[in-house]
Amino acid sequence: METSRREFLKGVGVAAAGSAVGFPAVVSAQARKGVPSDPVKIGVIPIRAGVAAPVGAAGQRGVEWWAERVNKAGGILGRKVELVFEEESNPKDTLERFRKLALQTKADVIVGGISTAVGLALGPAAEELKMLWLSWDGTTQKGVEETMPKPTYAFRSVDNEVEAIGGALLTAKYFKGVKTIAGINNDYSYGHDCWETYQAVLKRYTPDVKSVLELFPKLGVTDFTSHIAAIQQAKPDLLMTSFWSGDTTILLKQAAAVGLFKTMKACFTTGGGVHDSLKKEFTPEGLILGYNSMYFNYAGASPLLKQFVREYKAKYGEYPPYECDHGYFTVESYKAGVEKAYKTAGEWPSKEQVAKALEGIEVESLSGKRSWRADHVQMCNFFQGITTHKNAFDFVTIDPVEVLPTTRIMKPTTGTKLLDWINATFPLKG
Amino acid sequence: MGPSMAANLVNILMGGVFHAAILFLVAAGLQVVFGVQRIFNLACGSFYALGAYVGVSAVQAFTGAGGPPALFILPLALAGLLVGVVGVVVERGLLSFVYDRDETFQLLLTFALVLMLEDVIRLTWGTAPYSTSALYLTYGQINLLGATVPVYNLIVIGASLAIALGIGWLLTRTVFGRIIRAAADNREMAEALGVDMRWVYAKVFTLGTALGTLGGALVIPATAAMSEMGIELIVEAFAVVVIGGLGSMRGAFVGALVVGIFRAVAIAVYPELEMLIIYLVVIAVLVLRPRGLFGRVAV
Repeated sequence: METSRREFLKGVGVAAAGSAVGFPAVVSAQARKGVPSDPVKIGVIPIRAGVAAPVGAAGQRGVEWWAERVNKAGGILGRKVELVFEEESNPKDTLERFRKLALQTKADVIVGGISTAVGLALGPAAEELKMLWLSWDGTTQKGVEETMPKPTYAFRSVDNEVEAIGGALLTAKYFKGVKTIAGINNDYSYGHDCWETYQAVLKRYTPDVKSVLELFPKLGVTDFTSHIAAIQQAKPDLLMTSFWSGDTTILLKQAAAVGLFKTMKACFTTGGGVHDSLKKEFTPEGLILGYNSMYFNYAGASPLLKQFVREYKAKYGEYPPYECDHGYFTVESYKAGVEKAYKTAGEWPSKEQVAKALEGIEVESLSGKRSWRADHVQMCNFFQGITTHKNAFDFVTIDPVEVLPTTRIMKPTTGTKLLDWINATFPLKG
Repeated sequence: MGPSMAANLVNILMGGVFHAAILFLVAAGLQVVFGVQRIFNLACGSFYALGAYVGVSAVQAFTGAGGPPALFILPLALAGLLVGVVGVVVERGLLSFVYDRDETFQLLLTFALVLMLEDVIRLTWGTAPYSTSALYLTYGQINLLGATVPVYNLIVIGASLAIALGIGWLLTRTVFGRIIRAAADNREMAEALGVDMRWVYAKVFTLGTALGTLGGALVIPATAAMSEMGIELIVEAFAVVVIGGLGSMRGAFVGALVVGIFRAVAIAVYPELEMLIIYLVVIAVLVLRPRGLFGRVAV
């Protein structure tokens, strides 16, 4: 068979997506009625620079791993998957790249988006361009309020403050007697919202709990010695933080150097984002640590997760953080949505048909069963627990592990007022 | 004053002085280059980041080759100093072409360097935070008036102080120092007296670079390297320079202490003021003493 340059380049593109090249014949043989033979184009927008770059890389790796497997198995309804990457950066530039993916690349779906500032820009753009967009970690929340109550094309992440709610539940359960708390959170919406929400939920269990210090260093700070001095001065029973990037590691290291957590409990709601940098030498046992939507070392891990962790370790020399699962889930659910919509449409479904099919759909993701709620919000399990050194790694893991489903720690609709819901829901009965 | 209050005070002061020690090295690099070459080197923060990454790599190579962890500071400082030679390359290869141009070009060129170095770092070391793990804790802690102080922080503060004294000695007691000061005062006259300015510029810029890279290397055990860490620091270094006075070494020293300690006190007393207080000081200096505490009258 003579390969034209054009076909060859296409092949390279598919290869870049991590697929096995060289079986175009198999694909056309599997093509179904009403299904085009060209590849499905999936636009992917991972963050590549700055503090969140490792998170972006993890999401991308999750998607690439998925694409490789799906292409080996014949693609989506026989169509190969081709990944087209554009970078997520600030809202304005990302919006331009999103438009490029939609209008020029003519992507079938766009996945990604970690920053909520970016999500707030992409959500309306998805609706305007009639472009299916499945967010990884970005929401369309302004603070804790939803800005897009009834989207058609935009699908967004779990509410930003969910991990803080989980952290508060664990604090109430494991650290009874905590009366004074301090918070150190990044100085932007996520940090402030997590801190407020954490306190509101904890107060439902310990009404007289008091905040004695609130610190809001900006994202990207690399020296917390002065912050730690302030925490030592305030002497809280517990320190809460929603740090999720390299600053988690720095805070723990500098805290260890002055023995901060020898006398103080701590709740790291989102620190699992950099879990393998939390070395045992400076990360004590007995802290609350949250891994968000995937915990690589979960005892109840599915064969899929076990395989992913094994292959991820072999390829990148590290253990996967949760963002991999956001990436994997968005594309896996897209595939399931297409297949479901195809059954009724009888041909490759339109974006509207896929969007409808996605509402309420449940798929097997890396972390277990995950779904899209009817109002386009991710549903999944959150994994949090108490840090332990009893493992085969040089970093901490958690034991016991608490599995917190979003049905329990997230408000039931995007329209629900967060504080009303917290007051009506907690303390949980039973 | 009770013992716990004394401890709190020590903690706050130590936090401030530790921050100041690093800030001084970067600001000193900025000052020496500006003082002599009249170039405001935006890339000094990037050299700081570069020193941090190279420092981690050097330490990892050292411990990987079986070097005793307690000696990690030697390869760290050495790497920090050695990577300063990129200063020669940057000065001879880039800056030497723009000395006669408008200051805007020089500023743009050093800004281009900031962007390029950030990408070089990302390509070489990746985007994940990069650190020497727990080596920071190797030297243990001492008790100072009831406060626990990491010995490594004291080493960094001591090193920074020694470097400040060393630079003072270099500038006031050596021939090279006299030439530097002469060149800073009057470039044409120094040249007319037979000073090869190309050589002086190359050396001065390398010195400025090495101060930044050494600062980055020294701080890294206590933190983690991130590709944009230089940007964060350069903003504070600007404040130091404005407070201390452009081009003045003494200004860098005092300015760094002012910024470090004001920041630490603000965080402990009224955290919302963390950044604001530094700019309030900057504004006060600009209004009351526009050339900075130790700056000379503009020529």
